[in-house]
Formats: sequence, C-alpha cells, structure tokens
Amino acid sequence: MKQKSWHLNRRDFLKGAGVALALPYLNAMECMAKAAPRTAGKPLPKRFMGIYISYGVYQPDGPNGIPQKKPDGTYQHHDWSWWPQGAPGAITSFNKSSEPFRELKDNVTYLRGLDHKSGYKLGGHSSGDVFLTGANMGETESANNISIDQLMASHHSGQTRHSSLVIGTEGGTGSYLKTKTMSHRGPGKAIPSMHKPQEIFSRLFNPYGDKGVEQVRAGLKRDASLLDLLLDDSKSFHRLLGVEDQRKMDEYLESVREIEKRVESTSMWTHTPLPNMDTKGLNLEVNHKMPREYIRVMYDLAYLAFLTDQTRFATFMTESENSQDSELWNYANYALGYKGATHDIAHKRPADFSGQWDLWRNENHAYFLKRLASTKEGDGTMLDNTLVFYGSAHPHNSHSGVNYPLQLAGGRNMGFKHGQLHEFVDGKKVPLSNLFVTMLQAMEVPTEKFADSTGTLNQLLRA
Amino acid sequence: MNLRVSHLSVCLAALFCAAQSLGADLAGYQKSVAPFFKTYCVKCHGPEKSKGGIAVHTLGGDLSAGQELEKWESVLEMLGMGEMPPSDERQPTKAEVLAVRDWIEAGLRDYVKKASAVKSEPQTRRLTNVEYENTLSDLLGFEFAVIGDLPEDPEHHYHFNNTAELMRIGPEQLDRYLEIARRAMRSAIVDAEKPQVIKVRERFQPSGSHSGQAKDEFSALISKFNGSQTAKLMVSGPPLTGEFRFRMSASALLVPGFDEIPFETFMGMPIDGDHTEKPHRILGTAYLSNSPDEPKVYEFRGRIENIPYSTATDKKTGATVHRRELQSQIIFDNGEPNSGNGFSHYQRQFSLLRAVVNWIEFEVPVVDVWPPKHHTDILFESPLRNTNEAAYVRAVLERFMSRAYRRPASGAEVERFVKAYALIRPTVPTFEEAMRETLALVLVAPRFLYHTESDREMDEHYAMASRLSYFLWTSMPDRELLDLAARKKLGDPAVIEQQVLRLLADEKSQRFVKNFTLQWMSIKKSLTVPINNDLYPHFLKLRRAGEVAGTEFPYRPSIRKYMMEETIGFVGELIRQNKSALSVVNSDFAYLNERLAAHYGVEGVKGMRMRPVPIKQEHNIGGLLTHGSVLIGNGTGTAPHPIYRAVWLREAILGDSVAPPPSDIPALSDSGESLEKALSIAQLLAKHRTVESCNDCHFRLDPWGLPFEQYNAIGKFQPKVPKDGARIAPFNDTQHGDLKGYQKYLDTIQTIEVNAKSRVPHGPEVNGMHELKAYLLKEHKTHIAENVIRRLLAYGIGRSLTYRDRFAVKEIFSQNEKKHFLMRDVIVSICRSDVFKESAANPKK
Repeated sequence: MKQKSWHLNRRDFLKGAGVALALPYLNAMECMAKAAPRTAGKPLPKRFMGIYISYGVYQPDGPNGIPQKKPDGTYQHHDWSWWPQGAPGAITSFNKSSEPFRELKDNVTYLRGLDHKSGYKLGGHSSGDVFLTGANMGETESANNISIDQLMASHHSGQTRHSSLVIGTEGGTGSYLKTKTMSHRGPGKAIPSMHKPQEIFSRLFNPYGDKGVEQVRAGLKRDASLLDLLLDDSKSFHRLLGVEDQRKMDEYLESVREIEKRVESTSMWTHTPLPNMDTKGLNLEVNHKMPREYIRVMYDLAYLAFLTDQTRFATFMTESENSQDSELWNYANYALGYKGATHDIAHKRPADFSGQWDLWRNENHAYFLKRLASTKEGDGTMLDNTLVFYGSAHPHNSHSGVNYPLQLAGGRNMGFKHGQLHEFVDGKKVPLSNLFVTMLQAMEVPTEKFADSTGTLNQLLRA
Repeated sequence: MNLRVSHLSVCLAALFCAAQSLGADLAGYQKSVAPFFKTYCVKCHGPEKSKGGIAVHTLGGDLSAGQELEKWESVLEMLGMGEMPPSDERQPTKAEVLAVRDWIEAGLRDYVKKASAVKSEPQTRRLTNVEYENTLSDLLGFEFAVIGDLPEDPEHHYHFNNTAELMRIGPEQLDRYLEIARRAMRSAIVDAEKPQVIKVRERFQPSGSHSGQAKDEFSALISKFNGSQTAKLMVSGPPLTGEFRFRMSASALLVPGFDEIPFETFMGMPIDGDHTEKPHRILGTAYLSNSPDEPKVYEFRGRIENIPYSTATDKKTGATVHRRELQSQIIFDNGEPNSGNGFSHYQRQFSLLRAVVNWIEFEVPVVDVWPPKHHTDILFESPLRNTNEAAYVRAVLERFMSRAYRRPASGAEVERFVKAYALIRPTVPTFEEAMRETLALVLVAPRFLYHTESDREMDEHYAMASRLSYFLWTSMPDRELLDLAARKKLGDPAVIEQQVLRLLADEKSQRFVKNFTLQWMSIKKSLTVPINNDLYPHFLKLRRAGEVAGTEFPYRPSIRKYMMEETIGFVGELIRQNKSALSVVNSDFAYLNERLAAHYGVEGVKGMRMRPVPIKQEHNIGGLLTHGSVLIGNGTGTAPHPIYRAVWLREAILGDSVAPPPSDIPALSDSGESLEKALSIAQLLAKHRTVESCNDCHFRLDPWGLPFEQYNAIGKFQPKVPKDGARIAPFNDTQHGDLKGYQKYLDTIQTIEVNAKSRVPHGPEVNGMHELKAYLLKEHKTHIAENVIRRLLAYGIGRSLTYRDRFAVKEIFSQNEKKHFLMRDVIVSICRSDVFKESAANPKK
C-alpha cells in the first residue's frame, strides 16, 4: 500500500504524551520506529479478537475438510488448499493461498478437525451463528448464548472505555439462524455489529460530537436520573406480576440497569482524555464496491482501537452466510472479477477462483496481523498481547458444519506457542469448545467448562 | 401399599409405591391400560428401549398426581392418530384403544379441573417487532416503519413467536427502542414554524419518439439491456420528516385482451445502474384503464421517513443531503417466457401495451394543515398551555400514556413522567423538544413495550380489549374497544362477537392474517430456495446468459412473491367468507392473479390483482397442500422433497410435532448430490427405511410425502419426471418462446410417470394428491379441524398450548363441529372462550 490508511496527528501525539495514556503510540506514527515509553508497572494488556469468514474455504485435498492420508503415510495436498501443507506437525511450507502468512510463520497455528457439534443441526447457512458461542440452538437452547469475547469482556470490564468492539460488514444482529454479528451477551441478547467505518471511528475517537465534555457530562447526569425514573416505573410494574412473569421481567430491569451502568461508565471516562486521532489517510467513506479497502479500513479501526486501548476485545464478521440482500453477495465479483455471487464459489468451487478467494481473504487478514506484529509493545509486539482467532464454521462444502478451518495467531504473552498445524481427527471428536476453555483461561477468565467442552487444548500453550 | 402391578416389572412396583393414594380410576388403569401397555407397547417403550423418549412403564397409574402429563397426552395423541403401534406389530382392537384413550382423557380432565394445580407460565412478553411497529404507528397516527432498525425476532418453524419464551429483551434492544422512540417523537411533534417544502415535478413529452415510442410512453416490455421502462424522478434535499404526496397524471394504451395496466411506483436509494436491488418501498399501484384522451390524476401518500435514502454531501454548503429515486413501471406479467432476447412472442405483444404518463410530481412535507393532526393529537389546544405549563404537561402525558398503555394511566404513573419532564426541560431549548424527550421515555416504559394483561391492576375489560386487538389486528386497541372497556362491556359474549366481526372486517385484520399465516405455514423459505434453471428455464422472470441466468428481475414482483400472497390471501378468504377450516385440505376456489393462473394452468384469469377464483378438479389445485409457496419451500429447487413435504403436512395441517432427525444418522440431506441425481426418490427412501433407526421415524413420515411427488420443485402439477440418465435437450428461445412451446419443451423432458403411490400409516393405499386429500378429509377431519383451532388459539393467547388446554380446545371444537368449523365462527368461539378470557385477565395470584 502506498499510503497507510491511518494516521496519528503528531501535534496531538506530543500533547497526548503528557496525559496518562500508557500506550505504544510511536509505532503508529509513520516516521518513528522506537518503542513507546510505557508507564512503569502497568501490566501489558491482554486482547482477543475473533474474525469470521463465511462459506468455508477451498480444500480439494480430502473430504470433510481433512486432507486425505495416503497409504504411504503422506497427505494429499493441493497447491490452492486453505491448509498451508497436508501433513500435521510443524509448519514447513506455505502454499499459494496461505502465502501471506509466511512472514508470520512463528505467530500462527492451524487447527484441523475441530467444530461445534451444536452447529450440525442448524443447516448449511446457519452454523456461523454459534461460531463463538457453541450454543446448542438446534436442540436444547431456544436462543443463542454468550460468546467468548463477551465473556472475556464482562470479566475484564471497566479497564477500557469500550468493553468491546463488535464490527461486521453487514451490520445489525441479523435473525435467529441468520446472524450478522459474532457477539452475544447471552440468550436473546445479540450485540448488533457496526458496519459503517465513519460511525465506528466516531464512536471510538469522537463520541461527543460537537459537544464539550462538560456538556456531555451534564447530559449523562440527566440521563442517569431519567433511567432511575424509568427503573422506578418498571419496578412498579414488576411488583404487580406473578412470580413467573416477574422472572421474565427481570430481563427488562437488567437491561435498564446495564444501560445505567454504561451511562456511569461513559461519564467516568469523560475524565480521561480521548486519544486524538484524525482521519487523514483513513478512507471512512469507503463502500462495499471497494471490498479490499473496506475490509482493511475495518481491520485498521480494530487495530487503532487496540492501539489506543479503547477496548481489548473485538469481533469482526467479515462475511455472513446470508448476504443475499447486500453487496457482499458480489464481493468476489468486485475483488476478483468472478462472474457470480460470492456464495457460488462455495457451491461450484471453480478451480480458478476458489483458492484465489481464500488468498484474497488471507491477504486482508495477514495485513492486520502484520500491523500488530510490527507495532512494538513492551518487550515484544502488539501481536504478542493479542490473541487472534480466525476461521469459518464450514469446511470445503458450504453446507457442511464439520471440521472448521481455523487459525490462531498471536497471544504469545498469554502462553501460546505457534508454528504448528494440529490435527484432531483420530479417536474421539474434540469439541472446539475445548479450545475456548484454553483461550478463556489464558485471558484470565476462570473457566472450567464452556458449552460442550470436555477439557482443554492446553497443548497449544508453552509448557 | 402394594399396587399389584405384578404384570409389569418389579422395579416398577417400587416406583408405584411412591405414588399417592389409590385414585378412583386406578381400577381402570389396571383393567385396561396396564395390560394394553404390556401387550402392545412395552417392547419398544419399556425398560429395554424407550423410543421417542417414551417409556410407558415409568408412567404412573395415577394421573391426579400431575406427573408427566405431557407424556400421557402424547400417548393419547399417538393412539388417536392411529400411529402406534406400528403396522408391522401386533394390533389392538378398536375397543381396546378406545378404553385406554378414555381412561387417559378422563384422568387429564380430572386433573385440569383441579384448577389449583395449574402451573402458571409467564405471560408477560414484549411486543413482537410487527406488533411494536403497528402499535407505534396506530398510536402516533401515521405509518412508521421500524422493523429494519430492530434486531430480528426469532422464528421457529410452525410455531408462533409471540410467546414469553421467545420475546426476550437485552440492553441493545432497549437502546434501539429508545433510539426509535426519539425518532418517532421527532416525527410526531413538529416545530412551530412550517418547514421548507420540497416539490419536484417531471413532465414527459408526447413526442421525441425512439423506436416508435414517444417519451411519455412506457411499455410493458422488459429488455435484456435496459430492464423495465420507467418514469423516473430524483428527490434530494435536507433530511426531513413528514407526509409526502406523489401525484401522477396517467392513462393507458391498451391492446385487445387487456382491460387495465398495473402501474407500480416504488422509491428508495438511487439505483446508479446496479443490477442488484437497492432498499426501496412500494408507494402504490395504479390500475390504468382510461384512454390518453382522458388522463387521470393518481395519488399516493406516505411518510418520507419510511423511504430508504442514500446520503451525499452538498459540495457547496457541505451539508448532508438525502437522495431518493422514484420510478413507476408496468408490472404486468402473464407468465409468457421472456428470454430478454429479441423477437419472442413476448416482445411482440408487450411492446404495444403502454402506460402514458403526462407528468409526475413529488411533494414533501404536505403542509395543507399545519401543525399536522398527529401533532395536535398529542399537543392539543388548551388554554392551560399558556397559563399553567405544569398542568398542561400533566394533561398531555395522561392522554398520551392512557393510549400508549392501552388503559387509563394512574396518577402515580403520570407523576413519574412529570418528574422526567422537569429534569429534561432545563436541558433543552424548546417546549416541543422537552415533550419529545419525555414522551420518548414513555415509549420505552415496560407498560408500553410489554403485553400487560397479566398485570394485577389491569382491569379485565381493558385486558380483553388488548387481547382482541393484538389477536386480530396485531396492534393496540382503537377508541371503540377502549370505550367499551371503560364501560365494562367486554365481558358480554354478544359484545365480544360483535367486536370480533368488526375487527375482522377492518383492513387492519390483514396484519393478523399475514403474520399468522406466514408463521403457521412456514413458507418464507420458499423465497430463497435456489431454482434449477436447467430444469425450469422459465420459472423465474428473466433468463439471461451466464452466471446470472434465471435471476428474478430486480424491482419487479416475482412469481414467488405472488405465491406468498396466494397463501396469505387464501387464509384471508377462508376467514372473510367464513368458510370451513377443512378447506385447508381442499377448496373449490384458489386465490390467484393472471401470473399464478398461468403457472397453475387455470384459464381465464386476467390482470394482476389477486382474487378468489373458482377452480375445477382437473386443475389439480385447491386447499393449501398444492400452494407453490408450500411446494417450493419444501423442495430442493431441483426435485420435490417428500420428507420436507411430509413434515410440513404433519406439522402445519395435522398438528403433529415431528422431531428433527438425530445428528448421528446418515443424512438424506437437502444438499446431498445423491438426491439431485436420484429422480426416483421413492427408491432412495425405501433404502433408507431398511435401517432400523431410520425406519422408526420414516415409516410414519414418508408415506405422507410420496403423493406430493406429482408436484414438481416449482410447485406445478407435473405427474411425469425425466427419465433417469436421459440427456435433457436444451431450452431453445425460438422454439419454446411462448407458453405453449414451453409446455411442449417440458413434455419432451418429462416422460416417465411419477410414482405417487403410498400406503398411509394404518390406512389404505393412496395414489396421488386427489386420493390423499380424499383420505385426509375422510379419516382425519378431527385432526385437521382441531389443528386449525389450536393454531388460532395459541396465536391468540400468545403461548404454546399444553395438556391443560386440551379441554378448552375440545369445547371450541364441539361448538363448531355441526357447522363444519366455519373459520370466522371458530375465531368468535375462541375469543369468547374461558381460556382466552383467563389469559386476558389477571391471574390474581
């Protein structure tokens, strides 16, 4: 790229250095390469980001997303397979579509053979709903459940201005089995994803608009009082209900309290100066007809949110399986000139577009990982403090829900070691939720069990 | 005490010991039930196997304990349907079955009678998105579209989502409600000074012809390159709210065989040459029949807030501009193939059918009366306004809240929002602004967002008013209902009946019919099933070359949309004409327009308006079973899918609930290649049934789906299928370019008689749809009628029915049995039933 698509204003940076933003700004500045001075004693942040790609990936080397083992013990491998190599074990090569990750070899892990059993019954276009939640919507749960990013965010709430950043390309929550967001606060509580770069930028760096901080604070104070009144009113209704109905209404009361908490927290954060960020070089007007620019601006915004410690938890739904109504349908057309809907690639698996489509997505993702890897933080890089989970809830065939293509990157400071392709296909099925338990524990969320987990995947951690 | 159940296993005896005192009917249990179980059931539903989660040996012999009554009810259902025992097992006599059923039935009845044992289920639920939008619109007095701004409601096939279980809330949802409420109040309460009016007008010249067509003429032809011919208008200006008025002076150039031209206007985001649809909204359809010598002015109104727009920045001022594009086009479509290539029959005929438009005009906002009525309805004229602001605010709040809450607001309730007003007023510049914010807060209060019928202080008459209007209007009660509630008249069955009829006669009941039907029938999926264009080259509107072959033409109603309207309209007609509920299986009319009639092969239907049309047996349609929406939605787009169709029949029509297939079985999946290749699905299924675990479910499923095989994947009667392995000749525009030619083409492909024979469980062999329908109407009348009653009742009271409601259902059933379950009468019975009243009234506990 000729021009970096983000830019910190130098004057504001210098001003900002005076305030207590213990952040590695310097790497964000184009001309500087030294590590930022950190406020002594403050522990390094622990971040998590989950990224979803839809419609599965290209895996012509075996059925169900698992490369076939040949009689001689070697594995089938196709040059355009999503997997960097056929055989499990240390990663020794990167093929055509995984090429963008070559430089990141020591920072990535591939995982093969994991999935959510709960997604099997949701149908070909819906297992993405439970990608980060593992909820058993097909059978025992009538709604989705809490996603791992939100579990982490709620456990670590209060550390940053925003408890999490939930973005996507289509925005909103979508519907039951047609999600447009990766994040859920709990059953029936999908968090709408934001999809407009301008809106995300404003939310992060200019939340008060034209208003002065004093005015904002006064407004928040008023809102808090109004919410109190609303809570009073709601309680008066609550009292008149039978026990069962009261339990039902608790959801409402909790929601009001949650909003109150947010108002309080926003108010508290008005005492902390916002990072000063200008939009120069950041094309916030980008639209879906420029998919590469659009996806990268979204990644940039997540990067900037992490960089300025506005949040530590993020999810990004880069595609959904139900995008018939949006321009996403035509992404592969705009990006690669594929004459058809992006979704068709998954069905028809044209030889000259499937791998290229994966390559295109991997390039974007690698762009983000490299951005994190080249920003110094503490003794290492931002990537070392950021665990990035990337994949799809479908393998080769878009309608199957077994053996997700998954990649884990970063998080070295949380104990993760990399450079391996792990395969979990022999013996008893290992639930993807086991990995979630390990990730949650690494993020210091005390967890013994998550969804259908049967244990951990601590072999991904350094001994 | 020993209950002497030695004929069952010993461990059971122990279990029974725990049961309570000897019920009066325990003797009956021992006499007829226990031996029955032992002889016919325990092999598969006992200590060794418990298929379907039922193990009869664990069901206690005393129903009065209230244990596992759901299971008892499903045993009852199974026996009632004649599904158990399976036909290859030893069969009980009718008398034996009857004795068991009577015993269970009596036990359940006794238990339910002891009302004290009723477990209360939560009734408090938020409004569904549809209810919320309608309520907001009716409350404010103008249509306010908000569903797109809300997280989508969950959908469960064959179930209604207006239940406490599914209508949940979280902070994000509440946040959205607040945002929408603020937007709503900005629209409802206007500023004192009249806003700037945007008025755009376009004239079309009756000259300047190209290819023999003047600039004011718009033909019915859709061309491959240019799409429809449309009269266009761009509207751009600052963001604003208010009512708009669209006017158009137009007429028709008709050709023989046409009486009118449907000319539809839609508006939304500018199209900018895209081939994909942008968000837009239909303003209305003018049916043009007047000649160009007498142009007429047609007018549509609506709210500008509801029309999608794109934003742009005014280069001079830097201000934000909202841009919307309006287009009017002929939507006539008689089903003739339109390849988009020239010289087809279609092209010759439809280039001559034209709308003539002299001018179109768009004006927003309409300021004929200022401030508008919706404003003065809230901020009404009153001397108090200038003399005593506090008293005025209180009066405004009381009036508004009493409508928003669907019952009189109490003094204490009003006071809280008076306090809110006091907090808000100093922070905003104007009185209007403060009122907007205050009233927005009312709109996120639980008494607005929730159904409040179970609130203990809710008067039963107001509760009834709400229950009736949310049932039949999907919205809040109107003034008449609230007046009746105030006068305590809504306990009177005669008044209820009269109100039900009034509500059903009102146009607002369309919302009920649509909402109810779509969920009951679960047909939305029919819109997204990908149709195989090689087999059905002409099903979709426009067939173009390459990857986009067979796309539905953007901005035009598709046949699949008409099929949805067909199903909704059919149910609507059953209610409107008070027809028998059994018509869901067969009827002497269909609900069609010209496009659908061409698809089904019904002659003599002209024009695009949907309407009831009499049909004959040889049309092979009638009832819901043969609706395109049902058949396509339960097919693969390539082939029919007998299992989907069987599940649909059992769920939607017979009222069973069919368990989804377990995940560990080999799938006969919807996407599996095997299915697309296997044209003889009957054989595939036969193979599937040889596996025992598959057979357990499929022997009860497959037979229901096979007679549907006569209807293909696009929902057309087609009792022949292509020969397996035969090469399919390609579709040829010039040879197959009209309906006749197209049929000829299909006939050359489909050569083998389809196998639609099947032996229904415990029934005779039926061959094809006619025989299936006849059998259903002969042997399953009770189930069909009871199912319609159950669906309406569950929807009406907003919760799933349990065994406790069994007798309420039976009562409604017997009230209507004599007259063959006339739909409107059934609805009246439901609304007058105790269960409806109880649900409407406060539980007092």
